[in-house]
Amino acid sequence: MSIFIQGMGWVTPLGAGLDDVWAQLENGGRPEPKEFSVPYSPRKHAYFGIPPKITDALGRNPRVRRSSVITYYSVTAALAALENAGITMTPEIAERTAVVFAICSGGVVYTRKFYEMIVQQGANAASPLLFPETVYNAPASHLAALLGTTGMSYTLVGDGSIGLTALKFAEQLLETADIDRCVVAGGEELDWILCEAYRSWRLPAMLAEGGAAIVLGRQGRIKIGEIHEGISFSKRAGARAAIRKVHGDLAAKAGRADLVVSCANGTFIDAAEASAIAESSPGTPVDHPKQAFGEALGAGALLQTIHGALALEKRNLGKVLVSSLGFNQQAGGLVLGPG
Amino acid sequence: MTSPNLSTTLHTQRVAVTAVGIVSPLGKNSVDTVAALKTGRDCVSRVVDFDVTKTKCSTAGQVPGAFLEEVAGESRATRRMHRASHMMMAATREAVASLHSSPGGAGFAPELAVIGTTSGGMSFGEEFFKACLQGARGTRRPAWLANYSPQKQVLDALDSAGLSAPCQIIANACASGTNAIGHAFQMVRSGKYRRVLCGGYDAISELVFAGFDSLQASTPEKIRPFDKDRTGLVLGEGAAILTLEAWDDAVARGANIVAEVTGYGISTDNHHLTQPHPSGIGPLQAMSRALASAGRQAADVDYINAHGTATIFNDSTEGVAITQLFGGRDVPVPVSSTKSMMGHSLGAAGAVEAVISILALQHRFLPPNINFREADPAWNFEVVKESRGAKVDCVISNSFGFGGTNATVVLEGAGAR
Repeated sequence: MSIFIQGMGWVTPLGAGLDDVWAQLENGGRPEPKEFSVPYSPRKHAYFGIPPKITDALGRNPRVRRSSVITYYSVTAALAALENAGITMTPEIAERTAVVFAICSGGVVYTRKFYEMIVQQGANAASPLLFPETVYNAPASHLAALLGTTGMSYTLVGDGSIGLTALKFAEQLLETADIDRCVVAGGEELDWILCEAYRSWRLPAMLAEGGAAIVLGRQGRIKIGEIHEGISFSKRAGARAAIRKVHGDLAAKAGRADLVVSCANGTFIDAAEASAIAESSPGTPVDHPKQAFGEALGAGALLQTIHGALALEKRNLGKVLVSSLGFNQQAGGLVLGPG
Repeated sequence: MTSPNLSTTLHTQRVAVTAVGIVSPLGKNSVDTVAALKTGRDCVSRVVDFDVTKTKCSTAGQVPGAFLEEVAGESRATRRMHRASHMMMAATREAVASLHSSPGGAGFAPELAVIGTTSGGMSFGEEFFKACLQGARGTRRPAWLANYSPQKQVLDALDSAGLSAPCQIIANACASGTNAIGHAFQMVRSGKYRRVLCGGYDAISELVFAGFDSLQASTPEKIRPFDKDRTGLVLGEGAAILTLEAWDDAVARGANIVAEVTGYGISTDNHHLTQPHPSGIGPLQAMSRALASAGRQAADVDYINAHGTATIFNDSTEGVAITQLFGGRDVPVPVSSTKSMMGHSLGAAGAVEAVISILALQHRFLPPNINFREADPAWNFEVVKESRGAKVDCVISNSFGFGGTNATVVLEGAGAR
């Protein structure tokens, strides 16, 4: 069974409108980096943040007014994707809609604040308002509540490839469950602790905040021809072989693509992915959206997929390969074509 | 009742459980677990890994550190892993050893791994944060970061058992383990996959412990699920693994089929982030959908392994739902929450309790709901106070979580159909 993209939405460091952000990308637009100061240390970390006001409208909703910003980014993107698909939720539509969420770090701001209270003031001082928002599926729960979904809601957690795992999972639901569509959403929020962690882990990516969402169904304007199952690797040394296998499998099944949407982010991933492209797609043009979006982890692969879908439509391409390699779990990929 | 969500027309294959592995406060494997269940052993004790002097609750079900050190062995790389990895490794190794003891089982190669968890290697994140608080004086171990994320424990377990598969890690709060089994079941039943490894894990951490305490969900007293005077939950930890295979494949290779997964139901209750809708609609939908998916009626169910956290809200909601669905039977349905013996293991709970349900099917007994004194008069089911032998052919296992996520699986004895 084929699955199709019906609608897309994103919240990026360049803005939130599909056409507006695409125009900036095509013109080489880059966001202004922001900076975290690290407490207890003179260190600072540059990152790409989300421009203010993009998620203001959502903040007036009582269900989410206390939620972490990862909910704001991802739910704003999901609502935009539904609007882009021309879907107005009714109880009947909501009942036949599944929610699949891609999460990497989750609600890291509230998690850090909550644990800071425990360490500095004692466990009896930790706020009960913060704890529920630290749970990985809090954003999915908020989205399901806003949509009125009463059936399937899944949150998948993993490394930066998790967006493609979520799309694969949604494909499995559409193939095996009595539903009409899946809203696949992902998000990332940043905090100084996360920047410190990636620095200590020697992963010098430009981290970023963001949200992305794709509405999938059994018909639509862009076809997802193949979504790779993913190849796991437990050691960094295995990353190169994993992504090469993904590219090789997709080339064998779907043929040569007109464009590769790369996941290169300034870390060891770049060389591993480059070797896969050189082997399976030599000479194919390559876009590097993370130069503009940064590494938005939970949202990253979904942002790439939207980038690929827009490239397919606006450049009149025949086939686009989206490539994703995470830091410590999985390599994945998918192939987009016209619907 | 609204749409069952899971198609009853697409499935083509029966789904065999061909091996299980379990590690929990009840024991380090299935044999120990059966012994603890049959004797109603209380495995909740004072927390040893972090300070609990400022929390209302000070106890939890804990997997002994000495056992996990034994699992880790002498390898430096393995000893640096999180204790959650050690639990997952032990559970996976038990399942794989069981596979190896049956014809053709040594060649089991999962096409997919679906695992539930809520917090991965959380305590390593806590250590990293504390090191950051010390500024330049803090020592930051790279191993904390490498072993913090939830996917690491899954990959460690697969590696240690010589397995490899694409991984889907479900984090649906306390329903994660049941969701993982349910999704794996649906993948095999639909014919998309023939061999899937599934389960769940979680290890206790200070952050999560304080979190439940801050919500006043945990209790300083004994955990008394379904008791009229229940006062809250205690946390637990553990890991459990199941291997699911297409029934025909399992029969063809002469596998030792330990149970059959026959149904799965999922629902989302949008009432509140941490509280279920008091009407019980969420659990009622999950159980009804699971029974419909299995082609079973309420009268067919011999035992319910309840979510039964012993919080006021969960048990009243689940009790109402069970009464609505099963209350019309001539003989009240036996219900127990095995959390009464080991605490609530969160993302592991659904998998641990599915394996406990399978052990009940295999050994034909009802696991007990210890510490129970008096039932709420509004409910109409039997709370199993003490373990007893019984005809157990069809079991449902419930899990409900934060975010309003509800899941139920139906498990049946290998020869029940």
